[in-house]
Amino acid sequence: MKISVQGIGIVGGFGCGVVEFKDVLSSGECRPSTTIITTNGKEHETPVFLADTSGLTDFIPKRSLRRVDYYSRLSLLGAFLALEDAECTETDRKKMGLIIGSGYGASKTTFNFLDSYLKVSDEFSSPITFSNSVHNAAAAHISMLLKITGPSITVSQFEMSFQSALLSACVWLNENRVDKVLIGAVDEFPDLLGYCRQRMFGSEQSKASSKIQPFEFGSQTAIAGEGAAFFLLSRDKENNSKYGVIEDVILGNCNGKTISPPEDAFLIIGADGHKICGEQYASIIGKDTETASFAPLYGSFPSASGFDSAIAAICAGRGMIYAPPAGISTDTNIKTIHREKNIGSKKICCLKLGPNGDYSLITVGGL
Amino acid sequence: MDQNTPVAITGMGCLCAAGMNIPDCMDSIFKGKRNADTPVAFSTSHSTSYPVFEIKEDIPNVISEKKSGPGIFRTSELILAATHEALNNASLNEKMLHGKRVGVCIGTSVGSAMNNEPFYVDYRNGGYPEMEPIHRFLNSNPASCIARKYHFSGPCQTIVNACSSGTDAIGIGMSWIKSGICDVVIAGGADEISRTTYNGFISLMIVDHSLSRPFDATRSGLNLGEGGAVLVLESKEMINSRGKQAELFVRGYGSACDAYHITAPRPDGKGLKSALSYALKSSGKTVSDIAFINAHGTGTPDNDKVESRVLRDIFPDICFHSTKGYTGHTLGAAGAIEAVFAATCLEMGKTPISAGFSTMDPKLKVSPQQKIKPVNGSIAISESLAFGGNNSVLVIGKGDGH
Repeated sequence: MKISVQGIGIVGGFGCGVVEFKDVLSSGECRPSTTIITTNGKEHETPVFLADTSGLTDFIPKRSLRRVDYYSRLSLLGAFLALEDAECTETDRKKMGLIIGSGYGASKTTFNFLDSYLKVSDEFSSPITFSNSVHNAAAAHISMLLKITGPSITVSQFEMSFQSALLSACVWLNENRVDKVLIGAVDEFPDLLGYCRQRMFGSEQSKASSKIQPFEFGSQTAIAGEGAAFFLLSRDKENNSKYGVIEDVILGNCNGKTISPPEDAFLIIGADGHKICGEQYASIIGKDTETASFAPLYGSFPSASGFDSAIAAICAGRGMIYAPPAGISTDTNIKTIHREKNIGSKKICCLKLGPNGDYSLITVGGL
Repeated sequence: MDQNTPVAITGMGCLCAAGMNIPDCMDSIFKGKRNADTPVAFSTSHSTSYPVFEIKEDIPNVISEKKSGPGIFRTSELILAATHEALNNASLNEKMLHGKRVGVCIGTSVGSAMNNEPFYVDYRNGGYPEMEPIHRFLNSNPASCIARKYHFSGPCQTIVNACSSGTDAIGIGMSWIKSGICDVVIAGGADEISRTTYNGFISLMIVDHSLSRPFDATRSGLNLGEGGAVLVLESKEMINSRGKQAELFVRGYGSACDAYHITAPRPDGKGLKSALSYALKSSGKTVSDIAFINAHGTGTPDNDKVESRVLRDIFPDICFHSTKGYTGHTLGAAGAIEAVFAATCLEMGKTPISAGFSTMDPKLKVSPQQKIKPVNGSIAISESLAFGGNNSVLVIGKGDGH
């Protein structure tokens, strides 16, 4: 399996597009905005990496977005950016597949639909809101606006959503079902999620001035985020990409056994400040494995593994792995990357661990 | 593996309003029973009552999780019960599957949505709701529930493709076997009756206030239903290793987008035709090989119009039926339930009456079958059309896999 990354479209708390993403990776600095979360009548100023979808009007007129919700706008922006980045100008997209992975889907619209009938009565249920609350609504908007007529699926597997979607994208390409796959990782931040995080993490919830500390495995330092990371993928033999090549996608459940990430590769870990998963990383990373985490630049959300894969693809394409984000502490038992480094012939592996033994390992190679 | 190589189905399980297992479902369907009633799971303030195909019996509890912890959604209980039947049917158990690469690919709609009304109302009114419904949501991913119950270590994927989810899950599962990613895949779909979808479909004015009548001249909408169905897909090597022989196969899968409208199907049926074309090509079969078609046949004016057009154009002489008159539209489960029905009809050598049909619509110019018919052949098609413009098709075969 060798899958070429032809283009990347990315939007999140850092900004919009690969150029801005590279700028943030180079500087190692990205500050979240803040939002007010109310629980039990008490207001909490909470940091969140929020995205801005206003750039979507560079691709489609505002009037076309009248009935498109925020989640779908986020998805559309990622999709348009990926095709633009890949310089994909073809108009016949019947051999293009479309896959979206999302942990929570269009949550805001789902709650808006509940509002439509809970406020008055069932007979006031909004058909437009219902249509947009269906999980695959974002994929539908993308297929309509980009004229993609190949197969399309939407996957929801919490923190393994993107990786699981990627597995199927690679299978489709390898069995020649499609020539290209537009795949995206998307999640939004509804207020209700802020409430849930405040309830779950309480006093451990990050303060406005704090930072995600991915290597402080025993601490709860996660800061919520949202965003979309889209990729245009093709079979490797057609590779003329400026990015790396996806060489392997493995996911499953370790069922109590220890998994061993490769020691001869750079490791980008999906540790994002959640201590429920953090401590597992500490136990499986080899002491000589050069390891990084970039979650402090985009935040914590279920499909954020798409962001790690984008970083791996960008690094593999430029032959250098970025220095870690500024101001993060390291773990003495793990060999963390301290400065920008030449990759040489090494691979980059993105490792994500879920709370119940779920894991994924995406291997990205150079050109 | 050659792309035309079929993938063996070694076990199946299904429960829905028609029955709590496959024999009961088929018995009820061939007797023409339509177990619809006003909803019991929830109350509504609609002035009109819309019937639903709800499971009235207790769902077999195959896990102990329900007794402690946050519990799981009804959708997950449905898929676990279907999996239990399917694994028994395949003569497989957890011990036999230990150390094998077992993947799980499940389609759903409601089963992956956080729409707990009491929690949300309390939150919206400035309350301080407890987190148990959220923990239950996080505990209820249908694919993960199966993997957790049986300690499977392969990939998990929950497909949320609206009404084609179950069909797509089986198609993806088939690809995982063909590509060598898995030895066994538990593939299927499940969905529960919910007030949210009930209100949603009614708001779109596509729900019938009486029993649905797919393809009929007087059809005026669908009835919602609930259920779960699972296919055990196995690699040739796995089957050989345990000295089994399969008689049913998934032979092909095709899927294509309409790229037309968020809820309405493309009027010319181009997306469905494309999905059918790919499914047939990947199965190595042609139109003349098809014995019967399990149509999506929801009973909505638009769906049946488009589907009829495609059936008329591509399969003018092939009999078809809709089983939604017996199950209701079970959304993310529908494709899996109907794949099980199509495979079982091949096994039984007969197909059921398309419930609810009596008068041909002159605009459709096609009629689904109106009497129980013998199956003349060994290949069947199961179609799913979905919101978002998804069209997905499975080609299912009986025989020795050649």
